[in-house]
Amino acid sequence: MILQTKGLCKRFGGVHVARNIDFGIEAGEIHCLIGPNGAGKSSLFRLILGAHRPDSGSILFRGEDVTGLPSFARIRKGMSVKFQVPGIFKDLSVRQNLVISFQHHLHGHDLEATIQRVLAFAGLEGLEEQAAGTLSHGRQQWLEIGMAVGVEPQLLLLDEPTAGMSPEETRQTGEMLRALNAQGVTILAVEHDMSFVQQIADRVTVLHFGEIFAQGSVAEIISHPGVADIYLGATDD
Amino acid sequence: MTGPGNSGLSVGPSLIDATPKRQRNTLALWLSRLEGPQTIGRGRGFWITFVLAVLAAAIYPMFVDGWTVGNTAYFLVWTFMAMGLGVIWGYAGSLSFGQTAFFGLAGYGYGVLTLNFGAAYGFTLLALVLAVGLAALLAVVLGYFMFYGRVQGVFIGIVTLSVTLVFQAFMAQTAGPEWAIGAARLNGFNGMSGMPPLTIPWPGGDVLLYADIALYYVLLGLMLLVYLGLRMLLNAPFGNVLVAIRENPERAEMLGYDVRRYQLLGFVLGGALAGLSGVLYTAWGQYITPSSMSITAAALPVIWVAFGGRKDVTATLIGTLVMIFLYQWLTIYGSQYAIVVMGVILVLTVLFAPEGIVLSLMRWISARLKPAGGRA
Amino acid sequence: MLSTLFSFFYQFGDAFAFLVIASMGLAIIFGMMGVINLAHGEFIMCGAYTTVSLAQLGLPLPLAIIGGAAVAGLIGMLLEVTIIRHLYHRPLDSIVATWGLSMIATQGVLIVLGSTMQGVGTPLGSFTVGGFSYSTYRMVLMGIAVLLLVGLYLLFYHTRAGVIARATIQLPRMARATGVDTGRVYTLTFGLGAALAGLAGGLYAPTMTLVPTMGATFMVESFVTVVIGGGDIFLGAAPAAAILAVIRSGMTAWQGQLFGQIGLLITVIIVIRVLPGGLSGWILGGRK
Repeated sequence: MILQTKGLCKRFGGVHVARNIDFGIEAGEIHCLIGPNGAGKSSLFRLILGAHRPDSGSILFRGEDVTGLPSFARIRKGMSVKFQVPGIFKDLSVRQNLVISFQHHLHGHDLEATIQRVLAFAGLEGLEEQAAGTLSHGRQQWLEIGMAVGVEPQLLLLDEPTAGMSPEETRQTGEMLRALNAQGVTILAVEHDMSFVQQIADRVTVLHFGEIFAQGSVAEIISHPGVADIYLGATDD
Repeated sequence: MTGPGNSGLSVGPSLIDATPKRQRNTLALWLSRLEGPQTIGRGRGFWITFVLAVLAAAIYPMFVDGWTVGNTAYFLVWTFMAMGLGVIWGYAGSLSFGQTAFFGLAGYGYGVLTLNFGAAYGFTLLALVLAVGLAALLAVVLGYFMFYGRVQGVFIGIVTLSVTLVFQAFMAQTAGPEWAIGAARLNGFNGMSGMPPLTIPWPGGDVLLYADIALYYVLLGLMLLVYLGLRMLLNAPFGNVLVAIRENPERAEMLGYDVRRYQLLGFVLGGALAGLSGVLYTAWGQYITPSSMSITAAALPVIWVAFGGRKDVTATLIGTLVMIFLYQWLTIYGSQYAIVVMGVILVLTVLFAPEGIVLSLMRWISARLKPAGGRA
Repeated sequence: MLSTLFSFFYQFGDAFAFLVIASMGLAIIFGMMGVINLAHGEFIMCGAYTTVSLAQLGLPLPLAIIGGAAVAGLIGMLLEVTIIRHLYHRPLDSIVATWGLSMIATQGVLIVLGSTMQGVGTPLGSFTVGGFSYSTYRMVLMGIAVLLLVGLYLLFYHTRAGVIARATIQLPRMARATGVDTGRVYTLTFGLGAALAGLAGGLYAPTMTLVPTMGATFMVESFVTVVIGGGDIFLGAAPAAAILAVIRSGMTAWQGQLFGQIGLLITVIIVIRVLPGGLSGWILGGRK
C-alpha cells in the first residue's frame, strides 16, 4: 500500500470531520473518494496532505510515518496535489508556473524537455508566455495538473479535478488521468461527478459523517443499496 | 478544439534521473541569469543603456568638485537598504516597516568596533563585515519568530516597526557615561561620532575613504556588484521561489517548498543589505544618531521602494536615487517641507500607481519599443 | 501591606487603562476592516491638540475631550471617503497610505503650530495611600477604560447599528443584498476608530507635553496590544491589555518606562511564535 491511514480522527469544534478512519491506497490504482457534502472528503484530503493535523491516528506514506511532517516535506517525499480552485500563480506566465513546479528536481536541458512535454500533454503549446490567470478555466485546471505531474509523483492527490469543466473538458481530463495512471502514477481523487468516477476509478471509498461508509469497485459501490440512500438522504446542497 | 494529448507525457528515465547535469558550467549559468523573468530589462538595448549609465556615473566626478561627489556618494549609501527592502517586500511579499533597525544596529556596531579597535590593517573592512553580520543575526532571530510563527503580512510590518521604534527610544536614553561599550560612548540622543571612515589597506599607507571621490567609486562599484548580484539571484531558483511565495504561499508550500525558510532567507538578505547601508552611512559621515531609526527614517525606504516599484530591482534602484535626490533638493527649502512632500508622494503613488511610478514608466517604454514583443 | 497592594493595583490599573484607551481605535479599525491605521498616533495627536485648544478657550475639560474625539472622528471619516476607501482590496497598500498621511499630519502640525503647544495641567489633584501620593485623574482614566470596553461591547452586540456593522464586516455581500449601505458602515467604523484615538489623545492630553510627534509615543503600546490581541476586541485586545499591563507595570517598576516598552516588545515577539492567531484566535479555540 502506498498510503495508509490508521485510526485517523479530527474534530473542529464539536464536529467530527474524520472519525477513526482506516483507509489505504494500493500502488498503481485510481482511487476515488466520494460522499455527500459534509461527509469529510476534503478534510481527509487535507489530513493526508498535512494541511490539517489529526487529533489522533497516523498516516503512512510508502511505509513511512509522515503524520508529523509539514506539507512541503510530504510533497518532497513524492506526493503531488491539484486543488479544486485552480492553485496556479495567476500573474505569472504559464512557463514560470511550470519552472517553479519542477525546478527543485530538474535543471537545464531536463527542465526544458519536461516543460515542453507538459505543455504538449496539457494542451498549452504556444501559450507558455501568457499569464496563467488569463487562460480559460479548463486550461487553468490542466495547467495545474501539469504542474502536479511533471515531476513524476508517487501519489497524485486531486480535489474535484473537474469542478467547473464542460462535459467535453471533463472527458478529456479523464483520459488525461488514465494516461498518467498507465504510466505508473497512483491517483487519489475527491470527486462529485459519478459519471466521471465511473470513467476513471478502480476503487471507490464512500465517506459519510466523517466515517468510511463503504468501499469497493465502482460496480460494487453503484449496486450498494445504502450508498444511494445517503446521497438521497443528504438534505444539504 | 485543442485538448490535452493523451500520450504526450512519457515519464521516461530522464525525468527520474537522480543526477541532473547542467549543460553549461556554473559561471555561464549564473551570468545567463542576469536576464530573466523576475527582472525587467533584457537584450542589447537594455545593456547598452546600462553600460552608458555606468560610464556616465564613472566620469561624473571629473565635472564637479570633491564635495559634490562626496554628497553624491551619500545617495549611493542608501541604495542597498532600498534594494534589500525590494527583495523582502516586492519579491517575497512581506512588508517590513523596520529596515532601519538593521541599519541602526549595523551603524552602531561599526562605530563600537572601530572606536575600540581602531582602523589599522584594514580593520574597518572587518568591522564592516562584522556589523553587517550583526544586522543579519538580528534578522535571523526576528525573522525566525515571525515567519515560523506564521505571522501575516500586516503583523510583520507592525512588529518590525515596533522594533525600530523601541531601539530608537533605547539609544536615545544612553546619554549617561555609564552607557559605553569599551571606549565607545553611545551618547544618547546626540549619537555616536568620531569613528574612522572605511580604509583600504595599501602598501605605503592605508587609503582613507572620506566622503570624497575615492569613496564614491568604491560605493558605485559596490552598488553595481549588489545590483547585478541580485539580478542573478532573483532569476535563479531562489528568486522564483520568493515570487511564488508572494503570489500564492499555500501553493508554493504544496509544491514542496519550505515557505518559512525562504521567507526567512529573503528577510535576512534584506536585513543584511540594510545593515550594509547603515555601516556605509556611519563611515561616510563618521556619526550615527538614534534618529536614523525614527518613524520618519523608517518611512523613507518604504517611500523610495513604493515610488520606484517594488517588484523590480532596477525600478527600485532608479526610484530610490530619484527620491533621494529630490529629498536633498527639497531640503534646501526646509527639511520639514521635504517630509510633507514625501508623504504626499507616498499617498499619491499608492492611490494612482500601486506598481510604482518608475516601474510603470519602464513597462510603458518597453511596450512602446516592442509593440508586438513579449517583453514585460 | 495594604498600601503595597494598592500601589501594585494602581500601577497595573494605570498601565491597563493606557493600553486599552490607546489601542481601542486601532483595534476597531483593524478588527473590523483589516487595516492597520499607521496614522493612529496622529489621530491621537489631533484629539489632544483639539482638546487643549478648546479647554484654553474656556470649555470645561470633559466637553473639550469630547470635542477632540469628534474632530478626530470627522477627519477620519473624511480620509476614509477620499483615500482609504479605494484601497480595501489592497490591505498592505492601505497601511502604507496611512503612513503617508501620518507623515503629512506630523510635519504639517510642526510647520503650522510649531514644535510644542502650551498644555493644560492634570486636573483633580492627588490623594495619599500609605505615604505615597497618587493622581486622582489617573484613577478616573482607569474607570473610563472599563466603561469604554463596556460601552463598545453594548454598541457592537446590543444595538442595531453594531449588529449591522458586524454583519457587514463578516458577510459584505449578504449585507448589501439586504439593503445595507456597506460603504457607509466602513466610513462610520473608520470614523469611530479615529474618534476613539482622538478620545485617547484628549484623555491623556492633560498628562503629557503636546508635541507633533506625540502620536509615536502611543504607537508601540497600541501595536503590541493589537498584535497580541488579534482580530477580536473583546476576546483579544482587552485580555491582551490586561496581560501586557502586568508585564509593563512590572518592568516599569523594576527598570523604568523604556524597559516596560522593551518588555512588551519581547513578549509580542515570543507570543506570535506561540500563538499565531493572537489571543483571540487562541481563546476562540481555533486550530493551532
